[in-house]
Amino acid sequence: MRPPIVIASGVGGMGEYLKLIDPKQIGAYTLKTTTFKPRRGNPPPRLIATQDYLINSIGLENVGVEKFIEELENKVYDELFEKVKVIFSFAGENFEEYLLVAQKMAPYQGRFVAFECNFSCPNVHFNPLSNVAELERMLSELRKRLNVFLIAKLGIEGAFVEEIAKIVEKCGWNGVTLINTIRALHVDGDRIIKGGISGPVLKPIALRAVYEVRNRTNLYIIASGGIMNEQDAEQFFKVGANAISIGTALYKDPKIVEKIARMFF
Amino acid sequence: MENFSLTRSELIQLTEDTFIISFNEWIDFEPTQFIMIETETSIVRKPFGLGRWNEKLAIGVQIIGPGTNYIVQKSVLNAHGPCGKGFVPPEGKGAMIATPACLPMAFDLNKRCNCDVFIGSLEKLSIEIPFPLVIGDESFLNLLRSLEGYDWFLVIGSDQMEKVSYDILKDKAEVFVSFNEYMACGIGACRGCVKETKNGLKHLCIDGPVLRGEEVWS
Repeated sequence: MRPPIVIASGVGGMGEYLKLIDPKQIGAYTLKTTTFKPRRGNPPPRLIATQDYLINSIGLENVGVEKFIEELENKVYDELFEKVKVIFSFAGENFEEYLLVAQKMAPYQGRFVAFECNFSCPNVHFNPLSNVAELERMLSELRKRLNVFLIAKLGIEGAFVEEIAKIVEKCGWNGVTLINTIRALHVDGDRIIKGGISGPVLKPIALRAVYEVRNRTNLYIIASGGIMNEQDAEQFFKVGANAISIGTALYKDPKIVEKIARMFF
Repeated sequence: MENFSLTRSELIQLTEDTFIISFNEWIDFEPTQFIMIETETSIVRKPFGLGRWNEKLAIGVQIIGPGTNYIVQKSVLNAHGPCGKGFVPPEGKGAMIATPACLPMAFDLNKRCNCDVFIGSLEKLSIEIPFPLVIGDESFLNLLRSLEGYDWFLVIGSDQMEKVSYDILKDKAEVFVSFNEYMACGIGACRGCVKETKNGLKHLCIDGPVLRGEEVWS
């Protein structure tokens, strides 16, 4: 991928950041996660930000896979596909729903450079990483259903990330995105905001995850977590990342993508 | 929609904690649209309503923490925008009710929407303004009760000020409110700035910031 820079799922919405970022600076653009059923998302407040972190509680708000396919067929994303390579991100509220989304999206996989399976959203109750046997079964089933470049987006809650990554590789998947946001809580006066934490505080944790997975697998690694500048990006490549994913940093400065991309041109 | 830097032209102190900042650059915007401004004190940019001051692009800032203090201190600001849906006033005679930090927006709306403007402040302003000004909570409530003969109102201020205004004005005419919610992207990507309405969730950065008050508080 050149440049090896991915726009992270969730943060990047459904392509909106192309209003602010030159698509030539983007290796691939990951869409917001689509689930089997439409999801309204969590009630407000959904965000709290400090200098060091952001906690989001969006809750996978999305239109559901059937509506998404309708939008695809109605050319809603054609302009996006013309400008950048696109990664489809998907999830379910149980194992079966992951398979159903894959089944519905299989006819469209040729349009995407990869499918990223979100196994680690901290804002939903289902955590596939806490049931390794079931996860392995699902990874194998998904691999059978899809021919596309398959990426597992992993978090650090559940089993050790390197152990999960070995299973991902064993099941014939191509890559991993490391790491997702982590469950966190913010107390603001009388308000309590629960969500997934992102931003600079995540960087050392994500670096460790990339390091451990690189030392145990040959998977394509997209590093994600606290990458705010060129120096952060360099560190992730040094410990074994093949590409980096920019998420929360876009909120501070969308131009960060161009600044990091200069390392590769 | 674009990224840009804004260089300060003037900094006018209105009250102890409220300022108008005008800029040398101009960007085209619709009434009530806003920009997202970067600070060193938060990982996300902060939204500020666009307006004008002496025919220059301007924003109003009330210092409520380190982020807003940063914006007042800096002579060059990085931002993107304009964001949000421009306010299109309905037919008829309208009035905007706002706080001092919204004065640049008030100048803009007064000029482009031909509406009357009323400012409610907790303290005296350091400058003369061409709009009726009331000082203190009681005077503000009296002002709201006295407003008659309008077809619509637009209220822009704090959450509390907006709710109080809506409750008093709602039976007199249609009331539009510029709602406040935490934002991250400002462009509709993150889905962070939702508001519960009777018509479902609205995303303030693309559906707003101005909504009909009765959608939220009916």
